[in-house]
Amino acid sequence: MAAGGTNDTERISGGESILPVNPTTSSADQSVWADVSPLLELACRDLHDGELIHGENFNLFAAMSALEIMDPKMDSGMVSTYYSVDEAIELGAAPVPLSFDRTIDIQYVIDIMDHLLACEATWHKGHSLAQTVFSCIYILRPDRTSSHALLHSYCLVVRGTCNAVVSAVSDARTNEEEDLFTMTYGLPLKGEGDEKCLSLLQAVDETLSRQLRACKAPLSKRKALEDIEPLQSNPDLEEGFCRAVLCRLRFRKHFYHVLTCMRKPQGRGLELARKHIAACLSELDSMLQLETFLRSQTAENETTASGRQPIGFDSTLNSRLSAPTPPRALKLLSWRKAVEYFQKLLRDLNIICSYTLDPALDMLLHFVVGFQKMHPDLIARAYLQLLLVQDGKLYGRDPIIAVIGKAALLPDVVKTNDLQNNEIIAQLGQLLINLLKVICTNAAWQRRKLGKILQDWQVVRMQLEMAFQTEFGDVSSTSSDESVGMKICNHILIWVEEQTYWIALRFLTLGFELELYSPCDYCMVYWYMYVVLIQLAEKTHSKTMRRNDNGRRKGKKKKEAIKDGAKDNQIPPGVIFLQSRIDLTEGIAMMLAALRNEYNLFQSPGPFNSEHERFLQHFELLQKAGIPVYADAYIAFKEAVSHARFSTLSIHQCFKNAQRIAKELRTMYSNDLDKLTELRGIEQVAEHNVVALNLISRLGTLDPSLKVYFEFSHHPYFATAVVKRS
Amino acid sequence: MDIEQKAEISVGQIKSTDRKEAPNSGPVSRVKKLVSRRLLVGIKDGRFFLGTFYCMDKQGNIILQDAVEYRSTRHSSPSPMEQRGLGLILIPFSCRTSCHVDCSIEEQMSLLSLEKQK
Repeated sequence: MAAGGTNDTERISGGESILPVNPTTSSADQSVWADVSPLLELACRDLHDGELIHGENFNLFAAMSALEIMDPKMDSGMVSTYYSVDEAIELGAAPVPLSFDRTIDIQYVIDIMDHLLACEATWHKGHSLAQTVFSCIYILRPDRTSSHALLHSYCLVVRGTCNAVVSAVSDARTNEEEDLFTMTYGLPLKGEGDEKCLSLLQAVDETLSRQLRACKAPLSKRKALEDIEPLQSNPDLEEGFCRAVLCRLRFRKHFYHVLTCMRKPQGRGLELARKHIAACLSELDSMLQLETFLRSQTAENETTASGRQPIGFDSTLNSRLSAPTPPRALKLLSWRKAVEYFQKLLRDLNIICSYTLDPALDMLLHFVVGFQKMHPDLIARAYLQLLLVQDGKLYGRDPIIAVIGKAALLPDVVKTNDLQNNEIIAQLGQLLINLLKVICTNAAWQRRKLGKILQDWQVVRMQLEMAFQTEFGDVSSTSSDESVGMKICNHILIWVEEQTYWIALRFLTLGFELELYSPCDYCMVYWYMYVVLIQLAEKTHSKTMRRNDNGRRKGKKKKEAIKDGAKDNQIPPGVIFLQSRIDLTEGIAMMLAALRNEYNLFQSPGPFNSEHERFLQHFELLQKAGIPVYADAYIAFKEAVSHARFSTLSIHQCFKNAQRIAKELRTMYSNDLDKLTELRGIEQVAEHNVVALNLISRLGTLDPSLKVYFEFSHHPYFATAVVKRS
Repeated sequence: MDIEQKAEISVGQIKSTDRKEAPNSGPVSRVKKLVSRRLLVGIKDGRFFLGTFYCMDKQGNIILQDAVEYRSTRHSSPSPMEQRGLGLILIPFSCRTSCHVDCSIEEQMSLLSLEKQK
């Protein structure tokens, strides 16, 4: 933004306004600015309604995209209170000190601290930095506050924190759809001496601690401490103000430490970060406790604990910096909501810091999926991703090839070096890194990306198969004396398939979280989940079996093998777990199909798209990736559901099986809280659905007023049928 | 660009001199000749926009192409100016306070003569 000098202005004859353009820079030396307003006025009078004056290159469509000046939603340059930051400062919008009465001064400083916290939380929630934290004139002009140690150190540490967060989020690039977040054009985000902010803060902290001690000391001892200047002039309020300021400063200090510790390589700072998180949370508690002390007005939605409007903020000052986006309407979070936001953020970060950095991939995936269930915000997700993938290694520690080897349960004889030189394996490593990054993003973005990367996994699988065949001949003719290379290929191939189905399942379940399915689509979704789950269970099973017993081969009819084998103790618990979901999804899909077949419920909603079209819309990405392997999945689906009836026992049986397996597994996972909740959910859904099933088959034909609907009261994506009389 | 504009001006000059009651000499056709010329538009809040005249409707709303915004950094004048490019902008009639065209002295005279006519 170049600022022209006063010389560039020119006074024109007759006009009072000052024109900002130097005549010498215009078309000719002899040219002047001639007033055309009267001519335009006459022309407007002569124009017909709807007629336009324009040239040959005119394009109405392009003209529609013009920015409308003085429209508050489009014109970010509208002059509001002040023309510039400097003018605002000159007119006393941000005085230093805020007041010559030291008690009032400290009150105002606390208001600024609180408002900045609200601004910061609002920024984290997706608004631009320019309109939130940098609406503070003190932050925009950091040099001005240097005489006010308290305000200065606080502003510096806020700025440092913003800088750390911006760099973490832009490094993680989890903000694809939230790119407003990292836009910092023209903002003084970094400055000289920023690295000193912590030492400055520490010095202020020490002074305050001494002031607090001094005011708490009994009168007799006060004389000795008299040389300490109090924080402000009212002795009755001294202790409260000291405490209120201290907890705010210390929160900033510890929060800054949390962010730096979490960026340490290979998760080395996580333990220390947890200590700082605990400190942060306790300082936030103190802030809440002191709210009544500070409160002067009862206002619920204020951005400060006191309820006053803070001094030194103007969000319109640099709204022009938020270009190219037009200015956005902004509703700041209240101070209380901001504190709650930080509490949630810190708890999410604490979950990340408590993670054991498990080298086993399936445990890691389980952890991330569990973490995402808390709906963590952008910042927490960014830090998780930075922890998982560093320098192309898992946690910056385990080479990704080794992770794959471990996940594919490769025999120990295989060295990582054997794999590293293989081009396909290297590609697979990239895919896995990409997957780890994707599962850290928000649900909507994640689902879209998962759908897309499925095809990449499919391609790698085919490449592996081809490499396998050219090197070792037909897959089916394998004998017991397979070579090491062949073993590797086979193990990895099965793992890739398993992982592909895991992605497909995650893709399908995220659809429930995002509420993408309507009840009339549930039948096809559960059928699809059922099919994917079977394949997933089959792959997981054969992977584990290969390790346990390389000589023995499972039969071709995998589905039966698993179903029968569920009773077999040799089947790994992970597969049995999947089996309970297989039974449950089959049961729900068939129940919905029976409702459609017998009662004409949950049919297509309207004439606009057929069931087949919706099937394609929902599962196109899966089908492109060859999931499931049917020639035409829709026909397979129609065949599977067309004969479903309530009179058949199989639906009951599905739910009963799911319930029984879930119950049995609970003893096995007695120390895994996540799994126990999941199992409990499955059990309840199965139990309730059996009841509903009985009700429908007993009363359905007799009572036409019977209403059936589905809700997710016991599990986030397994629906429970509810039967009611209307 | 400069040469082209000069040529345009002189053409306009010739036509405006021997126009009198010719049918294409009405205000509408004269404004039409201003299309693609540089306009300087001032608005209520003190800003100016300099851009190429693109379009105007009956209500007097003007669209400028490749517009640059000029704003002073102080309330008091004169003060340093700040400028930034905006591209295609629509200036509603309601907020327009002035409108000038970049032209030669001769052309200015003819524009002034129009005011006298009025």
